[in-house]
Amino acid sequence: MSIIYELIGLILLYIYVSITSLLFSGIDRKLVARMQRRIGPPILQPFYDFLKLMSKETIIPNTANFMFRAAPILMLATVIALLAYTPLGFPPLFATKGDIIVFIYLLTLADFFLILGVISSGSPYGKIGAAREVAMLISREPAMMLGVFSVMWGISKLGVKRPFSLGSLYEHNIWELGPMVWVAGIILIYVFMAWLASEIEVGFFNIPEAEEEIAEGTLVEYSGRYLGIIKLAESIKEFIATSLVVAVLFPWQVRIPGIEGYITNLMIHTLKVFIVLFIAKTVFRTVTGRLRITQAVNLLWTRVFAASVVGALLLVLGVRI
Amino acid sequence: MTWLPFIIIIPLFGAFSMPIVSLLKGKAKEIWATIISFTTLMVGIQVFREVWNRGTIVYALGSETPFGKANFPIRIVWEVDKFGAIMVLIITLVSFLAVLYSIEYMKHDTGLEKYYTLILILELGMLGIAITGDIFNFYVFLEIMSIASYALVAFRNDTWEAIEAGIKYMFVGSLASSLVLLGIALLYGQYGTLTMGYLAVKMSENPTIVAKIALSLFLGGLLFKSGASPVHMWLADAHPAAPSSISAMLSGLVIKVGGIYAIARVVFSIFLPAINLATVGWLVIIFACITLIVGNAMAVVQEDMKRLLAYSSVGQIGYILLGLGIGMVAYGSKIGELALAGAIYHIVNHAMMKALLFLVAGAVLHELGTRNLNELSGLAKTMPKTTFAFLIGAAAIVGMPPLNGFASKWLIYESSALFNPIIGSIAIIGTAFCTAAYVRVLFTFFGRPNEKVMRAKDPGALMLIPMFILVIAIILMGIFPWQISDKIMIPAARNLWDITSYVMTLMGGG
Repeated sequence: MSIIYELIGLILLYIYVSITSLLFSGIDRKLVARMQRRIGPPILQPFYDFLKLMSKETIIPNTANFMFRAAPILMLATVIALLAYTPLGFPPLFATKGDIIVFIYLLTLADFFLILGVISSGSPYGKIGAAREVAMLISREPAMMLGVFSVMWGISKLGVKRPFSLGSLYEHNIWELGPMVWVAGIILIYVFMAWLASEIEVGFFNIPEAEEEIAEGTLVEYSGRYLGIIKLAESIKEFIATSLVVAVLFPWQVRIPGIEGYITNLMIHTLKVFIVLFIAKTVFRTVTGRLRITQAVNLLWTRVFAASVVGALLLVLGVRI
Repeated sequence: MTWLPFIIIIPLFGAFSMPIVSLLKGKAKEIWATIISFTTLMVGIQVFREVWNRGTIVYALGSETPFGKANFPIRIVWEVDKFGAIMVLIITLVSFLAVLYSIEYMKHDTGLEKYYTLILILELGMLGIAITGDIFNFYVFLEIMSIASYALVAFRNDTWEAIEAGIKYMFVGSLASSLVLLGIALLYGQYGTLTMGYLAVKMSENPTIVAKIALSLFLGGLLFKSGASPVHMWLADAHPAAPSSISAMLSGLVIKVGGIYAIARVVFSIFLPAINLATVGWLVIIFACITLIVGNAMAVVQEDMKRLLAYSSVGQIGYILLGLGIGMVAYGSKIGELALAGAIYHIVNHAMMKALLFLVAGAVLHELGTRNLNELSGLAKTMPKTTFAFLIGAAAIVGMPPLNGFASKWLIYESSALFNPIIGSIAIIGTAFCTAAYVRVLFTFFGRPNEKVMRAKDPGALMLIPMFILVIAIILMGIFPWQISDKIMIPAARNLWDITSYVMTLMGGG
């Protein structure tokens, strides 16, 4: 019986997150335009874009194979499955011991499907974009994994029901662990913001899709329905990645019993996601240009991963002492 | 009434009747081989169920009991415990699929009556190793298996590489077998018996230096057969040179039955009372770590598809040896049990996925005539079904969650991380290399089709069916990983550890 409730919950969450994430990208475009003294598109513009893409003719290149068509669907499916493991102001629907690994795996798998679809188009521009995407993927994830695992380890020391579950983030948080961990927490805020920017590929990290250099790179061959699906999936993924950052670093929620408690917490969570995205996406992409791929990889390993190591060590020391 | 003897009788009958059956022209020999291996599969399933329902089977050749008028076993005994039953099941399954696959794959070759005879003998040898409880009988079956595989590696004797690989494999392989034989001779001289369970009894009464020398000879010979790292060189040549159906059996079965299973059996069922298990375990772990890194790292740089798969097999053997080694050092603890269960599970999983990958490689080779990865760009366009099978196999071997490789690797990671974090991180590094190797192949397959590939098409149904049976098995096993682990693999690991019951079933079960 509970599995049916969970499925209904997943469908509702999917609808909610689709609308919210598209809405945020409308707000984002408006805000960027205002920062540059433009008027900008209406806030609902992403919805019009989506509907138009869905109604357009879809062109399949001659050199494409079956993965070209399957990849967008698989990507969206992975992202929807990921929603069941995402903390959205309350513990994830399928929260179990160790579900953080499933979360990271699915988050990476969505990117991997996109890469596979892009490669399958047979376009050399796509191939360059995909190669850059892989380089970024490998460089950005270790910093995040180290940060998340150390935070979860620290929380599990306070005694939680399910260690290494994303649900445990709502039982205790890292700010309860003492002054030394506060320093680690500030370092981890930097790490997670940098990771988020590289995950959603804005600002410095808008490299695989660099329009000016390699003509849209990854998405060059996609059109019509498939492009619409990919845009939607990327938008949801953006919301999910930000949810992780919010849940790890700023998990404060209100305690209201019953269904209205869930809804209130979801609203608070959405607000926090919008604030984090405003900094990591809107501001960051307005004030910075893109790096070269070598610079970005270098930055992720030497500045971000190193900071993650320092943060994790401080956290461990803070918990032990 | 036990079904056990038929597991040897049927392939033996099939192999010996093959020259006569092949006097009939046409497809008679293919059909005969398929029938025989299918029947063996059915008997294998039956033996598996029998062991699972009634516990370890002891079967004495020639009489009701292994004892004559003596109070110690004098006859050859076969003793199948749960681990042996799992091996029997997987051997018969993969062999049947390989035979089915050969019908279309081998149709351009000549001398097929010899081919089918040899493939049945190979299966027979492996089954014999899995069921025997007699150490000399084990050697005989080991040689049956080895000689059949030398002949099958060099089967395409009009190509230079087959002969080269066959000679290399035969020279070093017979040296390794002779080490095993020397070990058996020493044990017989010291203890005067050849029955495994009774040897364990004698050895526990009187552990001598001779036993230790014999054990080191066994380990040396059997690590060679399993393709552990310093002695993996035969494997990297033999697998690419053999016909792909044979590579699937070599990589999926021979290295595990003749190597891993034999090591586990010899150490746990004979030498356990007489030796310090931690020493042997650490020895195995050291070899495992070297194998893990060398095999997977070498797989990354290969340009020949089958050679890549062969090195990847070496790497996966490293995982299995790691689980086995931890199972020895941490004998009797929860960690050791998990590790051993993970090793047994990975034997089964790897047999299926590597068989699948070699069958895919065979299909590519059959359609395009090249194994060079640089020429196979864009295969997904013209051979979509084959590429899909490869995608599943590659994802399973890397250990992606909805597929079967995940659970077995997880057990090995978890136990090695709990056992010693350094060893755990070595295992992770090995997987990173493995992932890199397979992602590279996938990128080639899904890339822009080149001209050579444009002329290819998917192989016929007889080659696709075995592949898709394996794909379905991999997915199904991936859906119920922990049930399989709890119901089958952990009991098998406990059964393997429990030497007392192994001996008691032999001695008291008369």
